[in-house]
Amino acid sequence: MRPVTVYPRGEGAIASARGLVKVYGSGETAVRALDGVDVDFARGELTAIMGPSGSGKSTLMHCMAGLDTLTGGTVVIDGEDVGRMNQRGLTKLRRDRLGFVFQAYNLIPTLTAEENITLPLDIARRPVDRAWFDLVVDAVGLGDRLDHRPSELSGGQQQRVACARALVSRPAVVFADEPTGNLDSRSSGEVLEFLRHSVDELGQAIVMVTHDPSAASYAHRVVFLDDGRLVGEILEPTAESVLDALRELGVGRRDRADLVGAGAVAGAASAIVAGNGVGVLGGRR
Amino acid sequence: MTRVALRGIRSHLGRFLLSILAVLLGVGFVAGTFSLRAMMSATFDDIVESGTNADTYVQGTKIEATGGDAMTGFAGAQQFPIEMVDVIAEADGVAGVVPDVSGSIVLVGADGTAVMSNGPPSFGMGLAPDETAIWMADGREPTGPGEIALETAALESSGLAVGDTTTVVLAGEIREVEVVGEVGFAAPMAGAIMVGLDMETAMAAYAPDGMVDLVGVYAEDGVSQTELASSVEATLAGVPGTDSVEVLTGDQMRDDGREQWQSMLGFISTFLLVFAGIALFVGTFIISNTFAMVVRQRQREFAMLRAVGASPSQVFASVLGQAAVIGVVGSLLGVGAGVGLVAGLQQIFAGMGMELSGRIPLDGFTIAISVITGTLVSLVAAVVPARKAALTAPVEAMRDDVVSHDRASRWRTAAGAVLLVGGLVAVAAAATGVIEDNRPSLLGVGAGAIVISVLMLAPTIVPAVLGVLAAPAVRGMRPLGGLAKGNVTRHPKRTASTAGALMVGMALVGAASVLAASAQASVRDVVDNESQADLLLQSATWDVPAELVSEVATLDGLRRVDPLRVAYTTAVDGEVTPVVGAPVGFFDATLTVPVVDGATAAMADGQAVVQELAAEPKGWEVGDTLTVAGSVGTVDVTIGAVIDSRAIGASVILPDAVYDTVADPTSTMTDTVFLLAEPGADIAQIRDQVTELAAPYVVVSVMDGEEFGDAIAEQVNQMLVILYALLGLSIVIAVLGIVNTLALSISERTREIGLLRAVGLGRLQLAGVVTIESVLTAVFGTVLGIGVGAGLAATMPTVFRDEGFTALVIPWGPLGALLGLAVVVGALAAVWPAVRAARMDVLEAIAYE
Repeated sequence: MRPVTVYPRGEGAIASARGLVKVYGSGETAVRALDGVDVDFARGELTAIMGPSGSGKSTLMHCMAGLDTLTGGTVVIDGEDVGRMNQRGLTKLRRDRLGFVFQAYNLIPTLTAEENITLPLDIARRPVDRAWFDLVVDAVGLGDRLDHRPSELSGGQQQRVACARALVSRPAVVFADEPTGNLDSRSSGEVLEFLRHSVDELGQAIVMVTHDPSAASYAHRVVFLDDGRLVGEILEPTAESVLDALRELGVGRRDRADLVGAGAVAGAASAIVAGNGVGVLGGRR
Repeated sequence: MTRVALRGIRSHLGRFLLSILAVLLGVGFVAGTFSLRAMMSATFDDIVESGTNADTYVQGTKIEATGGDAMTGFAGAQQFPIEMVDVIAEADGVAGVVPDVSGSIVLVGADGTAVMSNGPPSFGMGLAPDETAIWMADGREPTGPGEIALETAALESSGLAVGDTTTVVLAGEIREVEVVGEVGFAAPMAGAIMVGLDMETAMAAYAPDGMVDLVGVYAEDGVSQTELASSVEATLAGVPGTDSVEVLTGDQMRDDGREQWQSMLGFISTFLLVFAGIALFVGTFIISNTFAMVVRQRQREFAMLRAVGASPSQVFASVLGQAAVIGVVGSLLGVGAGVGLVAGLQQIFAGMGMELSGRIPLDGFTIAISVITGTLVSLVAAVVPARKAALTAPVEAMRDDVVSHDRASRWRTAAGAVLLVGGLVAVAAAATGVIEDNRPSLLGVGAGAIVISVLMLAPTIVPAVLGVLAAPAVRGMRPLGGLAKGNVTRHPKRTASTAGALMVGMALVGAASVLAASAQASVRDVVDNESQADLLLQSATWDVPAELVSEVATLDGLRRVDPLRVAYTTAVDGEVTPVVGAPVGFFDATLTVPVVDGATAAMADGQAVVQELAAEPKGWEVGDTLTVAGSVGTVDVTIGAVIDSRAIGASVILPDAVYDTVADPTSTMTDTVFLLAEPGADIAQIRDQVTELAAPYVVVSVMDGEEFGDAIAEQVNQMLVILYALLGLSIVIAVLGIVNTLALSISERTREIGLLRAVGLGRLQLAGVVTIESVLTAVFGTVLGIGVGAGLAATMPTVFRDEGFTALVIPWGPLGALLGLAVVVGALAAVWPAVRAARMDVLEAIAYE
């Protein structure tokens, strides 16, 4: 693992966060879900966000997508400062510039696959670019199922429809939250292939939260989150390298916990850094 | 399990709130009806007690007759000479004798218009010195024909004061009088206007031949009622002419009076309870829907309970238990609402001049009936969903998704189809007259079957019909329309149930509109076809003054002046039947009626004309003899003609001369006066002259044929308004049902809404989807209701042709307005649910478990 890449002055990044802080609750019960996160995402990249449970991955995604408010720091998407937007602005952002794929409940059950795909465009009253639509549908492999209802599609097919929907409006960034969480290995593979393909061939930027190392291996880059902080990244991941990195994180956690108990936090932290070569991001707020 | 059930209600109170409200409204109506009846009963009891307070009564023997409607109850009493008062006064123990000399009167108030209230009559009464129920509150008693005294409430409504002069119309004469005193009366007047006259004037007006039909006798101290009664009876025993009287004790008289009021009140309260029943029926839809949705949402919870060991009957009981709690709470609140409603009505009546008894009775019976009704309704409505909950398989607890089929069962569709066909056949048979007997009942049964079958088949037609109705929204408002349409067609049974509640109310409203329009058109038809009259006179008191008639008769240019008189307290062949007196030649010149048999010219020979509608079932034919009995006498008449006329409501029409031998002149009403002008006469000028003559009589209107039709139309409209008001409650409850379904379904769709918002649907757009859903549901219910209601009503004129329905008119205007109202109401119903949906936090919605 190496330190997380951050572009100077955020150039070239389609989405970036600086000093992102998210605190839930207040006083005694305050939980610091994100503790000063700096990160950039670029076009033409499939980035996976990984980390143990409770590390704040979903929170990071929600904050960057304008689904949740920020406690501190800034988020910029396609040149727009998300933290400053009101409800209306956020709605428009989600409608016009972002795409979403959730783990489940992605589709409106009363609409056909085609209607589900064009939903964001219909809401925005933007005309559908038929050529692009055909391209996306072709890439997703659902040409013959366009008039089916979600209940008539398999889990994998439903997720692919959701991916097509996310892409059909040519968003700046697509945020996917555990897109293959509910799928079997073959369907997972299909969906992930498609996501990678759309990034490579169609130039999209996709940010994917996942806990599955084999899913993460489809990405160009994996960033690791732990206790609300980005602790490192891996480029051109394989399932093994991801597993290794996770193991390091896990060991680090256990050690940290022991040392906290022993009260020697600072010394232990430097020992970990020196011992495992893990880059710790700190200081830059 | 009880704890689970009760806590469930408390924690999700919002879900059940609207159901409680529905029970509240329905039960409120029921409780209000009973309470109102009790209050009116108490008021009328009061009136009877205080107004009929003599110790003994001498009354003309009642005419032997059966029948009589709920209103009058009896045919009428014979009369006896007023001189009998002196004889009675001689009896032992008599402290005072008061003859009842009263009749109708028109009082002109300070503003120059007649003092009238909306139902109770204005009457004049001869004041007797011995009358203990009356005293002078101010001024003095009237002593001559130019003086009157007014009862306190009458004084107030007229705007007059003691010392003012005004006009009265008494026994067909206009008279200027001075108000010399204020009369206090022991009982509440409930809106009736009482004018006190001196006894001689009253006699001259109401008993010109010296005959009365009722005398009250007061006892000396220490003499009981029965003692007095026997004493009076003994005294009268030997006197000639006393076989036409009977002696009653005061108690017996009061009991009789009370009985009459009770039967009228019974009629009214039954009428109101029918509408309360409709309201409750509509309420069951809401409760049933709520529980169906709640059970569906809690499916995992029930599965968990079952997995943990609860038996199906325990789950069943817990759901029914919740329904029972809702029923009881709603009913208790409803009782309060009903009492409040009656209190409000009391104020309204007081404002209209009708004082009702002060206390609002709330007895155990009313409370018990209300609570039982409300709880029963609740339980019945929740049975099917409770059963579903009880049968939840424990394994459902492990499943992530709630899977349920909301399509109507095959059994239901088949049964509905059979019922529909049966109903259509019955209605068709009744309408086309293929079956002769019992057409109205056949129609009624067929109509009921059709309504129920439509309710049963509604889920099956939801997709098709809503597809059509939603088409404009789907095309014009993408994607909102499509989303809304998908949502309402997703659960056909639920949509059908919600809309069905509205359908019931709308069907009745639609039917009433068609019937009213047809009735109005029929009246105009009849007037156009049968009446040759150029002008018609009618009075707001239903009695055109005789003096006016004679004045009009003296005008130039009138070929005929035909007053039609009616007596209600007559009996024909032993059955109470109103009888009409008409001038000879009426049917030949003024009202050209279809003659079925015989010749109307026979009236010149003193023969009667009868209506086919009555003649057929009774077997009356030309040449038969009828015995007509009235207060004045009894006479045998021969039937000279059988006619079929809608214009005249009575079955027997006698020539004037014969009528006079039977009917009591003081209780006869001159219903309508037909004026026929000479050919070539200037009708406008005649009309002006007649209007001038009628003006001082204040309450008489001069109309031509068209205005006459308008006047009747106006009456029909008034009845329609009352009907709409009564049905309004059912419609309100149905609309609450729409709000309820929407709110619950939105809470059900939380994750989906979260997704839509995440994908960029704005809050206003989301509210738009909800609104379209609501409007679609409301329009669906209304279209179905109007279709069924108006359709069924359209068959009624053919079935009820004999009752006077000659025309069928479908009032497209009002029906279109109803549809427009449905749209507005649907939009309003959506407001609260839409606001709730729009306020949902996106993140919470997505993560909703």
